[in-house]
Amino acid sequence: MMTDREKALDDDLAAARSEVAGEGWEMSDALMARILADAAAEMPRPSADAGRRGLWSALVSTLGGWPAVSGLAAATVAGIWLGAAPPPALDTFLAGDPVSISFTTGLDVLEADG
Amino acid sequence: MMEGSRSGRAPAETSREAAEDARLLAAYAAGDLSAARLLTARLAPRALAQAGRMLGDRAEAEDVVQEAMLRLWRQAPEWRSGEAKASTWLYRVVANLSTDRLRARRRQAPIEDAERIEDSSESASDRLQQKARLAALRDALGGLPERQSQAVALRHLEGLGNEQIAEIMDINVRAVESLTARGKRALVAALARRKDELGFEE
Repeated sequence: MMTDREKALDDDLAAARSEVAGEGWEMSDALMARILADAAAEMPRPSADAGRRGLWSALVSTLGGWPAVSGLAAATVAGIWLGAAPPPALDTFLAGDPVSISFTTGLDVLEADG
Repeated sequence: MMEGSRSGRAPAETSREAAEDARLLAAYAAGDLSAARLLTARLAPRALAQAGRMLGDRAEAEDVVQEAMLRLWRQAPEWRSGEAKASTWLYRVVANLSTDRLRARRRQAPIEDAERIEDSSESASDRLQQKARLAALRDALGGLPERQSQAVALRHLEGLGNEQIAEIMDINVRAVESLTARGKRALVAALARRKDELGFEE
């Protein structure tokens, strides 16, 4: 048995339901825009990581692949070593300044890419 | 009058709909923003209606929907499509957020003051009286224990079946029945008290 008060509650609940089923409760463009702005801001960004990897691989391929890069690194290290501790015979064996040539070549390539 | 709340989610369709929601969510997580637009178009209107029925206020309902969808976007990368349905998850989040707001509203602005002002200025208007009755209903809903409030709203404002409510609230069907029965009794008592106080006619 439903009491009058239970009946009144059911009427109120029905009124609350139909209130929102009526006009003025459609999805608006403004709400869609707010929600999508959040979606864009929260978007997971695999593309950002790919971008960072992309920069490295572009740099590496510009220099002629990884073997060339390790060659360049070895040459640079050797150049630094030669600059820091030139063997006594080097001055007579090589006229000029091979150390600075090695550095300049590497830096030019890096700067041209960046 | 309950049909509207069930639109587009008849049981036979549910698993297909859920699979499509999951696919769109995965596409969004993989960087496809147009998937977010489609997903919003599928899920947000119903969420807006749910929040609107609970809160009776469009601006507040919109805030709830935006917040619920924001949580969905944040969940997207870890979403396990086999474990949860986006629509069920959203029902739960919107119910939680709306209940929080009803309770906060009750703490911040006790309804009695506003009610009495309206009542004295235009008590003859049926429309105002209905507005006041619905405000009283929502206030009473906010005064229930949280789980009762959610179960009553899902059952009697959304018109959902007990099994679906059980899934949404992650409890069994008997617990849903118990919550809605106790919640309704408490609502009847709270509204009866208010009607006695304000002299509403029924």
